[in-house]
Amino acid sequence: MGLGWYITRRVGWAFIVTFIIVSITWALLAAAPNPEIAQAATQVALQGGDPADAQAAAERARELRGLDAPLYQRYIDYVTGVYTLDWGWSETRSQPVIQAILGALYYTAQYSIPWTLLVIIIGPMVGLYSSATQYSWKDHLATGFAFFGYAIPNFFFGIILLLIFGVELGWIPVIYNTGVPVFSLENARQLAVPVFVLVTGSIGGIMRVSRNESAAFMNADFVKTANAKGVSKLRIYARHVLRPTMVPLSTTMISQLLYLFVGSSLLVEIVFGIPGIGRLSYRAIIAQDTSVVLGFTLFFTFVATIANLLQDITYTVLDPRIDFDDR
Amino acid sequence: MSQGPARRGNEKHKRIDRRSWLKAIGVAGAAGLAGCSGGGGGGGDGTSQSGGGNGSNGSQPSNATNGSALGGDGNETGNQSNETSSGGVPEVGGTYSTITSSSPETLNPLYNTEDGAGDLISYALDLGYGFRPGTEYFPRLYDMTTDQGNVWVAKLRENLEFGGDYGEVTAEDFVYQITELHQSEWAATADASSWPSEVNVEATGDYEFQIELPNSNALYPETYDPLLYPIPMELMQPYVEEQNADGLRQDEELLGLGFAGNMGAYTLDSRNRSSSLTYKRNENYYLRDAEGVPERFSEAPYFDTLEVQIVPESQSRLAALEAGETDSASVPFNRVSKFRNLERTDVYVIPQPYNEVCVYNMRDNGWNAGPGNLFRKKKFRQGLGCAVNKQRLSKGVFRGFADVEYTWQPQWSKWYPDDNSNIMQFGTGDLYGPEATQSRIKEAISDTDYGYSGGNLKNPNGETVTLSLYHSAGQPTERSMADFIAQEFKQNAGINVEVSAIQGAQFSREYWQQQIPDNPDQYEWSEGSNNAGPREVTSANPWDMTVVFGLNTYPLNPTTASVFFQKDSAYNPYGYYPSWNASELFERASNATSEEELQPIFNEIFAKISEDQPMGMLAFPADTIGYATGINGPQENFFSEWDFSAWYRNG
Repeated sequence: MGLGWYITRRVGWAFIVTFIIVSITWALLAAAPNPEIAQAATQVALQGGDPADAQAAAERARELRGLDAPLYQRYIDYVTGVYTLDWGWSETRSQPVIQAILGALYYTAQYSIPWTLLVIIIGPMVGLYSSATQYSWKDHLATGFAFFGYAIPNFFFGIILLLIFGVELGWIPVIYNTGVPVFSLENARQLAVPVFVLVTGSIGGIMRVSRNESAAFMNADFVKTANAKGVSKLRIYARHVLRPTMVPLSTTMISQLLYLFVGSSLLVEIVFGIPGIGRLSYRAIIAQDTSVVLGFTLFFTFVATIANLLQDITYTVLDPRIDFDDR
Repeated sequence: MSQGPARRGNEKHKRIDRRSWLKAIGVAGAAGLAGCSGGGGGGGDGTSQSGGGNGSNGSQPSNATNGSALGGDGNETGNQSNETSSGGVPEVGGTYSTITSSSPETLNPLYNTEDGAGDLISYALDLGYGFRPGTEYFPRLYDMTTDQGNVWVAKLRENLEFGGDYGEVTAEDFVYQITELHQSEWAATADASSWPSEVNVEATGDYEFQIELPNSNALYPETYDPLLYPIPMELMQPYVEEQNADGLRQDEELLGLGFAGNMGAYTLDSRNRSSSLTYKRNENYYLRDAEGVPERFSEAPYFDTLEVQIVPESQSRLAALEAGETDSASVPFNRVSKFRNLERTDVYVIPQPYNEVCVYNMRDNGWNAGPGNLFRKKKFRQGLGCAVNKQRLSKGVFRGFADVEYTWQPQWSKWYPDDNSNIMQFGTGDLYGPEATQSRIKEAISDTDYGYSGGNLKNPNGETVTLSLYHSAGQPTERSMADFIAQEFKQNAGINVEVSAIQGAQFSREYWQQQIPDNPDQYEWSEGSNNAGPREVTSANPWDMTVVFGLNTYPLNPTTASVFFQKDSAYNPYGYYPSWNASELFERASNATSEEELQPIFNEIFAKISEDQPMGMLAFPADTIGYATGINGPQENFFSEWDFSAWYRNG
């Protein structure tokens, strides 16, 4: 059985997992009372209608929303809607949910892609460097940097940097401008500080894990052998230390980035006024916009499933000892 | 989320707009939500349409520091001329940018219930009418006249054009909107409650329609009930035929205001729902050619572009104002002096009608300190009124940017009694302090087993009375107010107060609103979740006191405030039973045919309210809005932005 079959099976499994989650969310939604129905009845009651009118209004509202259809029909409609990206209408934004999510994602991607790349590149490098120069002042400096970024709240750090670089020095705009082209200097300028804040906030964990994991390999026999054979330091770190380190590190990275994606990005989006996915989801939760909450739940389900899939594939590529035949 | 009589929150506009007047019911949750999202102090968010009014050209805003915080007087007519110093009409050009904290739910005029969204709509689409300083009626799309107050005639301007292919605006468009949407059972528009079926509306000409009320109402325009947006009949018709409320709600033309034609100073150019809206100057703005409007409208508006940025974080908004990236933003009270000292900004103190009240729960799940709910006793409430020093509250908590409140009207309201000798000024002078407080409480508890010992109020078990007081989480000013009340109650009334933070929406849902009884018919009244029945009908959780909600006092037409003071009204979450005949007095006010007839009735109402102390009426905080220097237009007056379309930048 080859890698192709393994990936096919994993993709199939990912599809089944999302299908199960989609079904569960439908069941929960179907079981929950619909506030719009109650609202319709209340509206009539408040206008002085009698209970029969209120009941009729509720029925009408139910009918308009297709809630009078049999359960199986509603389920089929729902699942069809999910997979054809018809995710409903957002009451708090007055637009289709999928439009809201894609619109927000457009802005989130602009800072999260550079952020992720920088973290993935810088984190292990600093960790490796720290490990190679263990207990020296360089190690302490790198550790200090990691802990500083980890400890200082992104929200606070963001405001401070905004005040310094935006208000005092005038180097960056205070208000995020959605009108500038994505690939432009202006956009890079307005995203520099948010990306910096996020990188410092999330690099700490990855750097520490890579430092500790790689430390185990620094004195391993194969590293000593490579040293004895006169292999260059760079090659030793890159090929003999970083590669095995990346196996456990990839788990940390993916879980941490997914977590930070929701948590940290929200705070940074609020401070810097970026209309991304964090703000969208936060506002939807506060405003109880069920359609949007459901929408980004589905979105994150898909993202997490794909991330999990990629992680498994990364394992097998990075470490040939991991066998995918039996899995 | 609707805005209505109950509201607090610095991130929401604190103007009285039509929604505030219309929505007398079911809106307390909005207050909580607004409260949750706010930062400390400061008023609206800079896009408010109510502030300003009578300042002089380029004058420095008033520097209120104590007690009388409100720089402007709603009764003043204002002396500003927006013309340039040379006497000509200002030049057109540039961009006006403002900043707000949250994105509107909808810009559909038929379904919007938010103040903030109302402002965003109003940039591109005027409402039927407004008011100038002095509560002077200002006709926009139509003028309203009446003889006796029961038949009102609305006469449209004849130069109103819809956009697209919808043609000119006629009376039929308005009549159709009222009869087919607002008075329908299916559409559930935001204005539905303003147009009960007993109001008859009919077109009496191409540009004229009349509204026949069941009872006369001398202040009908001031209720904002007849306030309408112009919507093309052809646009509404397909939805009316199908009774398709969702379709109407989601209509792209309504959401994009594409039909506004020449009826807005600006046209909506682009909208990013989470970050910004951009408007362009409307070359054909109808007010430029309108009769009976000030000369300065002749070339209005004076900005080529209007930008509204949406920035949720208060510090970021202030940073933008400081950096000159926006022309207006709300400034918290504690930052006012800083922004006053900046060269590039001015801060305007703009009075608003929402008051700070300490509400007592008189329902069966209130007063959890022992047997018998003492809040139900007028003398006890009066005692509590004597316990809080309102002037110190205004100075200390609101940094001087609030006026004290004695009765249900700000003192700048034209309806506030000229002779206030009948208004009991609890919380100041002789009506403040331990003696004034405890003498009244002792009188109130004389027929109970409560008593004073060691300066503390003891319940029949001998324990010091301890009450809960809820405030909105994340609202520093509100938290300070709650702490101040707790301290004053302890010191002057000998009552312990436990202050708790809670999310406004949660308080609204679980504490404020009652559980609708299974069989409402068994009760004398059941008016929905904000007054689901007499005192035995309660919310899910017990509570004693709250400062979560700021309530609208309706200074243009206080008859609208009647819902707060009648035991069987649609809005009585606190279970107040007036000891005076509130229904009869408000009924008389509603039926008055002239303002002269109204004033003595209101005098009596406000005297009764001050005496009865239905809740602790504490203060009227102002909005404090920072503007870039050089913006000519903002004024320290309740009607501040009535002429927003004629604002311009100096130089």
